[in-house]
Amino acid sequence: MCQLTELQCDAMKELFNLGVGRAAQSLSLMVHDEVELSTPDILLVQSSDVVTTLLGSEFKQLSMVTIDFSGSFDATAILLFPERNALAIVSHMLDPHMLPEELSEFEQEAMCEIGNIILNACMSSLADEFRIEFEGGLPVHYFSDTDSLPLFGVKREDETNQVVLLLQINLSMRQEQIHGHLLFLLSVSSLNALLKCVDNYLARFGVT
Amino acid sequence: MDGAFCVKLLDHLQSGVILLDSQEQICVWNQWMVRHTELNFNTVATQKLNTVFPEITQSRLQDCIKQALHFKLSSMLTPGLNPAVLPLYQKPSDRNCSQRIEQLVYITPISQDAQAFCLIQIQDMTATVRRERRLRAQSTNLIATTYRDALTGVGNRRRFDHDLGAFFSDAYRKQQSIALLMIDIDAFKAYNDHLGHLKGDDCLMKVAITLQEGLRQRGDCVSRYGGEEFALPLPDTDIDLAYSIAERLRQLIEGLAVPHPASRTIQHITVSIGVSAMIPQMGQTTKMLISQADQALYQAKDDGRNRCARYAPESNAVPKKIVPQY
Repeated sequence: MCQLTELQCDAMKELFNLGVGRAAQSLSLMVHDEVELSTPDILLVQSSDVVTTLLGSEFKQLSMVTIDFSGSFDATAILLFPERNALAIVSHMLDPHMLPEELSEFEQEAMCEIGNIILNACMSSLADEFRIEFEGGLPVHYFSDTDSLPLFGVKREDETNQVVLLLQINLSMRQEQIHGHLLFLLSVSSLNALLKCVDNYLARFGVT
Repeated sequence: MDGAFCVKLLDHLQSGVILLDSQEQICVWNQWMVRHTELNFNTVATQKLNTVFPEITQSRLQDCIKQALHFKLSSMLTPGLNPAVLPLYQKPSDRNCSQRIEQLVYITPISQDAQAFCLIQIQDMTATVRRERRLRAQSTNLIATTYRDALTGVGNRRRFDHDLGAFFSDAYRKQQSIALLMIDIDAFKAYNDHLGHLKGDDCLMKVAITLQEGLRQRGDCVSRYGGEEFALPLPDTDIDLAYSIAERLRQLIEGLAVPHPASRTIQHITVSIGVSAMIPQMGQTTKMLISQADQALYQAKDDGRNRCARYAPESNAVPKKIVPQY
């Protein structure tokens, strides 16, 4: 299993923070209130370990927005929040007085758009800095439990060939901190392509 | 399928279809768009979308179009976060009262012969949004009802339990003082027995309304705890402030001058108020705050009613010997 070097980690953290920073800007404009986003941590794990590594006991019901990206490397990007946190975000964005119980399908659509904004911002920041191109599909929103998590995005052939780039994401608005995760599901060959992009990016700045 | 048939197909769709070329110029504009904008294809062809709709300049829609054409990324705009993005109207008369169609917009990149295009699909969500609003209004109403005391219109016991619980954990987290007032109408049983339940109800309503009105400035919510007892949790309030609020409320009720013909000792309806406050510590619960306010309330009653008393922890302890200081 490949590991990320410290330099690669730092470079990617920086790029993703750039991306979510832009996303935060557009979200702030939309809700006319300060929204902050940061991704303090990055980790590389086997897709089969995602549930146990991180999500195991913490929460059962999940809200996730997924987008498939293809290009210099292929990835399924997933923005994942515990259901309760997702509902808190949406109610903050739509109507702070709304109780999570009141949210319906209609508001889940809004969650889909929020995921769309964050994931697109991350990928376009990568595309920008790596000088590569992606094609991105439309976002899809699921409510799911942790048991069915590995099902998403795992291409049928060989499950162990999938790795997951796992980032913690913190969203803060109206004095509240909401935690979630960003997942990028990649095949090993896509991961290698991504790491090559990272190395080229570092080399451009004379860091190797 | 030939081109003319494709155009026909697009014109039969029950959703809006716009196609922009790499210069962001309109090259497809279906009948749905014509119907809801009153602009036909020849008018808009080869124009930019923000020339047709200047209001979208620097909007999220414009960003998404750029993302689709330059980064090949897809986006969606939901009616919840982007109310009525484009000036589309169901019927011409709606234009006058600016009743726009609520829209769900999908923006996707398409490439053909090495040229980038941007497809915009628009769905009419007006009915859905309207239904959502109606359901929200109903549920808000129902929730309000379940938290309101049917007789007096102030909060009920559920409201009190909810508020106190929320304020208490908030006070614990922020290590701030939370206060509680327990308010009891003096000699209410005698009043009820003497004048009947209907008069008793009137009295409860008057007292409840006066208490709530007296709190209007601070936005605090008084609740009926039970019978003739009301309770008022006060976030971020220490015992002194709570006591002064209690005293003001007591005076307001006294000032109502509702005659109390059944009492030998008092002429008018009055209240006694017990006040407690604490900065919650680990392991303490709301029960403690309630019980302290209760003890203070008994104290006020013992001291002759129509007064406020604050909970004093040492009142139950052995009095300290006073050592003269020289």
